[in-house]
Amino acid sequence: MIRRFRAWGRIVLARLDGWFNSLYTWRYNPLYHSGALVVGCFVILLFTGLYLLLFYRIGSPYESVGNITAQWWGGRWIRGLHRYISDMAIVATVVHAARMFVQGRTWGPRALAWMSGVVLLGVFFLCGWTGYVMVWDVHGQVLATEGARIMDALPIFAGPIRRTFVGEEALPQAFFFLNLFAHILIPVGIALVLWIHVSRLARTYLMPPKPLFWTMTGLFTLVAIVWPIGMAPKADLLRLPTEVPFDIAYGFWLPFTQQMGPGWVWLAVIAAVASALLVPALMKPKAEKAPAPSWVNPRFCTGCEQCYHDCPYEAIDMIRRDDGREGFVGFVNPDKCVSCGICSGSCAPMGVGPPERTGRDQMVEVKAFMEEASLGGDDIVIIGCFHGAAGEGIREVAGAKVYQISCVGSLHTSVIEYFIRAGVGGVMIASCPPRDCWNREGVTWLEERVYNQREAELKDRVDRRRLRIVYAAEAELSVLEREVASFRSQMSALDRALSEQNIEIDVACVVPEVSVGEEIGA
Amino acid sequence: MSAARVFGAGLAIAMTFAVAWLSRAPTDFAGDGDALIRLSWRVDGVTVEACETLSEEELAKRPIHMRNPQACIGTIAPFELVATLGGQTIVHDTIWPGGIRGDRPIYVFRDIPVIPGRSVLSVRFEAVVPEGTEVDSAVSRLTWEGEIELAPDDVALLTMDDHGAFVLRTPGPAASD
Ligand code: HEM
Ligand code: SF4
Ligand code: SF4
Repeated sequence: MIRRFRAWGRIVLARLDGWFNSLYTWRYNPLYHSGALVVGCFVILLFTGLYLLLFYRIGSPYESVGNITAQWWGGRWIRGLHRYISDMAIVATVVHAARMFVQGRTWGPRALAWMSGVVLLGVFFLCGWTGYVMVWDVHGQVLATEGARIMDALPIFAGPIRRTFVGEEALPQAFFFLNLFAHILIPVGIALVLWIHVSRLARTYLMPPKPLFWTMTGLFTLVAIVWPIGMAPKADLLRLPTEVPFDIAYGFWLPFTQQMGPGWVWLAVIAAVASALLVPALMKPKAEKAPAPSWVNPRFCTGCEQCYHDCPYEAIDMIRRDDGREGFVGFVNPDKCVSCGICSGSCAPMGVGPPERTGRDQMVEVKAFMEEASLGGDDIVIIGCFHGAAGEGIREVAGAKVYQISCVGSLHTSVIEYFIRAGVGGVMIASCPPRDCWNREGVTWLEERVYNQREAELKDRVDRRRLRIVYAAEAELSVLEREVASFRSQMSALDRALSEQNIEIDVACVVPEVSVGEEIGA
Repeated sequence: MSAARVFGAGLAIAMTFAVAWLSRAPTDFAGDGDALIRLSWRVDGVTVEACETLSEEELAKRPIHMRNPQACIGTIAPFELVATLGGQTIVHDTIWPGGIRGDRPIYVFRDIPVIPGRSVLSVRFEAVVPEGTEVDSAVSRLTWEGEIELAPDDVALLTMDDHGAFVLRTPGPAASD
């Protein structure tokens, strides 16, 4: 069932992505930046929170928040911004988590990110809980009394902590001090867990693009000004709260838990957390279906370090050789490798990559493809990422044949060269937009290799006019069709491509003892 | 500016308002118009000592330095809680001391929804001790009786003052906001 749910979610997400791309372009599509937007929210919360802290008083919490709210030039909108952005953080987190789920980025080496993500979400909730209690209005009262009732089910307290909130006397300052302390300390915990969350990623993409960040900040500031947060009635423990301005993002559970015994609440919490933490185990493909990790063939490895630099998951180390040759050799740590294949595209001598997806395997495959497809000088071939518009199940787009690849980042540039030297009129690479790459950096490295001489670069001799890289997300087939048409007309201005015989793809690095031609059967 | 741009900007603003709305959805938490009687206090408990005089044989089994002829076991007595409102029993319960060995203080915490209005509330909280046991009656028996008037959603709190006597707190005048 969970897999069907995922397949269904993927369709919904693809549609939304496509729609948002058409409105905001792939560069600023907020759905692509959801994780980074949460970090952006966290930064705004830190700054606005520091301001609020200047005026908050544990001796008169409600009154001090009232004073902040009365500062029409500052406190009023800063408090609103703090509150609205904390809701945005939850919304963005949910989108981010849903995205990772439907893209299947949950298991194996990514399980650590998934599990720590669940913890992050929990800690965010806790922080919001203490934040609302700080105000000590009726909303804070409901959260505090309900929280105490639930905590009382744990047999760890000497007496019921609900007795703190019965209305016997004014609440002790110590309570508000502790609450404030927690509200300030929890963000330190968030930063720590975030560090664990991204610890397996190279070059973590933490902040959203500046225009997106400032648009978000601006829009929420605007809303905080025109739709300011007021003061709800003060908490009164001798009165049952009735009409409570209520935060759905942080208090959605209240209407449910209020109907439940605390034991049931704990059961529900445990069930929810356990099922979230079980996702990596449930989503893990069976051993025979799981893509195998990458592997370095030490015979071909020259120790150039390129794969070590390119791997988006820091799964490759350089270790000293033990085969009698000098220097270092790449080594893939299978526990960290997600089998994205990006290293296959990094390696000029084609010495690394997941089984059946190394540069060598790609060369064998492209030859077979060319023989079968019999393409000529007027034809375009689309090299399509499995997750993009020319992905799973797509064989042809606007008359152009599709050659599929698991990630455009894993494409060895020799494949492009081969297509062009074999006489194909033009090669179009249909990639997911950069921030949508399931393997984080696929198309980024591809572009560097094609246009900026990054190893393993596309050789200068290849006519770049016969090549086009297009971003087309899963639901953007029409974008791809338009691009094919425009590429075709661009090509019609060029001379008809001719096919070379006996194509020899040479490699930049010198590979001792073995000739690549031999190995790839050229 | 293209129509898509304008629509995109409008949608962005609408989405921002929607997120902001999440934090201020007015929700009616009103119960069914009930008022609440809340009983909340803590007593240290009444220790009941049960002693027996050991026989010569029993004493003889013990090491020479452990032959105390009196063996006493102290336990904290449970309490009986009875509350009536307008003559009707709203609580009748025995409350046991806390802790695994039953040696912790006794906490009472009860929320009892009642129909609002004016009624006589009567509460008795009394240690259950074996007949003939001598206990300090100031601690072992607490009572309160009086007329209370509760509006819907009011909470009447019966608790203990600093001298260990019952005291009733009712809400002040409704905040005019
Ligand atoms: C609450 C705060 C959260 C923040 C601030 C956050 C932030 C981030 C960031 C910045 C990245 C790195 C993106 C990149 O560089 O490509 C990331 C990755 C990831 N996040 Fe989160 N995240 C949060 C919550 C979650 C949750 C709740 C989940 C899922 C339950 C989750 C699952 C993941 C996964 C699986 C990755 C790894 C992606 C990959 O390896 O391909 N995150 N997160
Ligand atoms: S890119 Fe290839 S040659 Fe360079 S270190 Fe990696 S495996 Fe070795
Ligand atoms: S396939 Fe290669 S690039 Fe991808 S995670 Fe594994 S080692 Fe890194």
